[in-house]
Amino acid sequence: MKRIFDAQLIGPFAALVIVALIVALTTERFLNPGNLSNLSLQVSIVALIAIGSTIVIFAAGIDLSSGSMVALLTMIFALMLKSIGIPLVIAVPLILIAGAFLGLVIGVITAYGRIPSFITTLAALIAFRGLALTFNNGSPIFSLDPALEPIFYGRLAGIPLPFFYLVFFYGLAAFMMNFTKLGREIYAVGGNPAAAVLTGINVKKVQTITFVIAGFMTAVGAILMSARLNSGSPNYGQTLELQAIAAAVVGGASLAGGRGNILATLMGAMTIVIVQNGLNLNAAPSSVQNIVLGLIILMAVGIDMWRAELSALMSRVFGRTDGARSSAAKKAA
Amino acid sequence: MNASVPLWEFDNISKAYPGVLANDRVSIKLLAGSIHGLLGENGCGKSTMIKTLSGVQQPDSGRILKDGQQVQIADPQAARDMGIATVFQEFSIVPTLSVGENIFLGNMPRSSFGVVDWKKVHAEAAAVLAEMEVDISTEAITGRLSVGEQQLVEIAKAVAMRASMIILDEPTAALGEEEIERLHQLLRTMRGKGTGILYVSHRLDEVERIVDEVTILRNGRVVSASGETKINVHEIVTAMVGEDIGEHYPKEKNAQEEIVFEARGISTKAGVNDASFALKRGEVLGLGGVLGSGRTEIARALFGTDELTSGEVVLNGQPVAFKREIDAIRAGLALVPENRKFDGLFFNFRASGNITAASLGKLAKLGVLDLKAEERATQELIEDLEISAQAEEKTVNFLSGGNQQKIVIARWLFSNAEVLILDEPTQGIDIGAKIAVYKLINQLTRKGKSIILISSDHDELLAMSDRIAVVQQGSIRRVVDAAELTHDDLVRASAETEETLEKEEALA
Repeated sequence: MKRIFDAQLIGPFAALVIVALIVALTTERFLNPGNLSNLSLQVSIVALIAIGSTIVIFAAGIDLSSGSMVALLTMIFALMLKSIGIPLVIAVPLILIAGAFLGLVIGVITAYGRIPSFITTLAALIAFRGLALTFNNGSPIFSLDPALEPIFYGRLAGIPLPFFYLVFFYGLAAFMMNFTKLGREIYAVGGNPAAAVLTGINVKKVQTITFVIAGFMTAVGAILMSARLNSGSPNYGQTLELQAIAAAVVGGASLAGGRGNILATLMGAMTIVIVQNGLNLNAAPSSVQNIVLGLIILMAVGIDMWRAELSALMSRVFGRTDGARSSAAKKAA
Repeated sequence: MNASVPLWEFDNISKAYPGVLANDRVSIKLLAGSIHGLLGENGCGKSTMIKTLSGVQQPDSGRILKDGQQVQIADPQAARDMGIATVFQEFSIVPTLSVGENIFLGNMPRSSFGVVDWKKVHAEAAAVLAEMEVDISTEAITGRLSVGEQQLVEIAKAVAMRASMIILDEPTAALGEEEIERLHQLLRTMRGKGTGILYVSHRLDEVERIVDEVTILRNGRVVSASGETKINVHEIVTAMVGEDIGEHYPKEKNAQEEIVFEARGISTKAGVNDASFALKRGEVLGLGGVLGSGRTEIARALFGTDELTSGEVVLNGQPVAFKREIDAIRAGLALVPENRKFDGLFFNFRASGNITAASLGKLAKLGVLDLKAEERATQELIEDLEISAQAEEKTVNFLSGGNQQKIVIARWLFSNAEVLILDEPTQGIDIGAKIAVYKLINQLTRKGKSIILISSDHDELLAMSDRIAVVQQGSIRRVVDAAELTHDDLVRASAETEETLEKEEALA
């Protein structure tokens, strides 16, 4: 267990607690049961998609496609249920397969076509949104299936289902990253692709797999999105990819690859959503929310980059003297 | 110039980092027209000193005097203005720019409108190169030059700014014998013109050849000021390490008769041309040759990185075809690459992740890793190879070069490789760590493992190999007993064929 819950979680956890405390203290309705359950719904979609985005980042890639892929998949899901009449039990796995397949296509083009993932997924971001608009004349499709919401957003033993999705998928992802050969290979490819090749790791395959995982998790998010709103729309998921990447970054994942803890991404996602929720409850306009999200990302990376300087500043401010340094200074004098 | 006043004097320079006193009252006097060696093992404070002298950081205490006048080197620009040029280990040239542009980077001659005067750039750059007696076109794209030529461009930058002091940090780390000789010739010429040169190197054989005086650091302090130590490898090593280290090259002969690995007329598109050799069990076969002779390419061909266009590789009597590195690894081959930073290490992992990276399959059942077994194996190897105890506590970027290299080799001990290709295994690591690597080579051959050793350090190659294969133009000219060769033979053997070839071409 100590492998999963390591020191990398302390910073993101502290940030989450501080943010939650501030919002709870300044916003009356924050702790209402209704708001909290709404919060868990909001967190779940971003946090589940962020699993894939983070794993891609661990392998030194980036996935910008997830927001548009959500829109595309909700439209395909809606068409399956409403126009074709495919039953839910078949439509759900088909969508998961479709997501994984789209991820596979992106992964193969990136890894075997040697095109940077920033470009392939940027292209996908634009193209998937366009593709989503080709269905149903670009209009949303409503009232898919009355069973959707209760199935995906019901409660088990009084606890909202999204909580279980988070526990399940984050548990699985944490297990994979920390205890399996694939997880280790993903970190190795992100840490040093040249060395990974020379140690016999199939770098291209591993890179491709990260995009398949990302596509699959995006499909999970798309199904939850459709279920929550009982609809499919080409406009869903705008900037979702950026929120997912932000969750990874606030959680401390290095964009250079190879470093980070997947569970920290969950904390990052929660931090971001709580801030947004707090602003919402205080009737802040969405423009302000975006500005704040931008600042949070900047701060999270800044704190990481300036860690050494900040700790030096802290010790100066609080007058804690470094033993070794003071003895060295004595010697010099 | 008054001989009693040094060109530059660094007097009692101290510099502390959190937790360590990196320079403790270090004094160096650099005379005009001399080459001054600054030596010491890794972590002795050389780099700290260089950073202070080039204005990258300020000393905590101590004085800096130029021509007897106290000065402050506020930042790198100030250092340049005062005539200090530093050639760092990692080059600071821009590979996509032309040689001329690089030479005057940040200081381009301009015409009256403030526009770069290209004619003048190239004319002046050409003048500098001519003065250095270097034949490189100023229009050439720098990144396409050989490493040795890039090094010369770096130095041309120093010459162009008319530096009075040039600091060279490990200038020959990436150079072949011929290029080193050319560099030394250039340094002697510059010395003749009154330039003071501070020469930092690990390669003691060449220090002996080039420097006029040495200052040796250990643990941040000067242990031997200039004039105190004779410029002789044995005395320098003793001063650096702090004790008489005895045998510099502890060679054991463990070669058996059985042939385990063979290349039969292999060629690749990368320039390997009909190369053949046989490797015996427990043998160290050295590949000797100048930089660019094709040694690294042969290693790549053997390891499955480059596809064979003809010939075959035979392992334990069976022909094998490696399509990719993983095939070679599974068959029992190992490659310790030339550049451990770029091609060898995972800096995001601790020792364990680095050691097991090539054999994760061995640790995994149904894709799940046995982390306990990994921990045990790592601990054993750390103790066995005397790797720093910190190796498993932090990621490997915090370790010294010697410990890092041991970890890369440990990876192949864990994979239980039969044939190890070591490409420049002691490059950039200090004497103590080098000897540890030599002992490790002995340990491996004692167990019946076979080694292909590639090294630009001829003394090392001669001392640690059983036989030497002389490589030229991607093929193996001859294989001789290492005992029958001397340093000069090897240099000559590496060079002679180029002349022969030229003659042949002239005749044809």
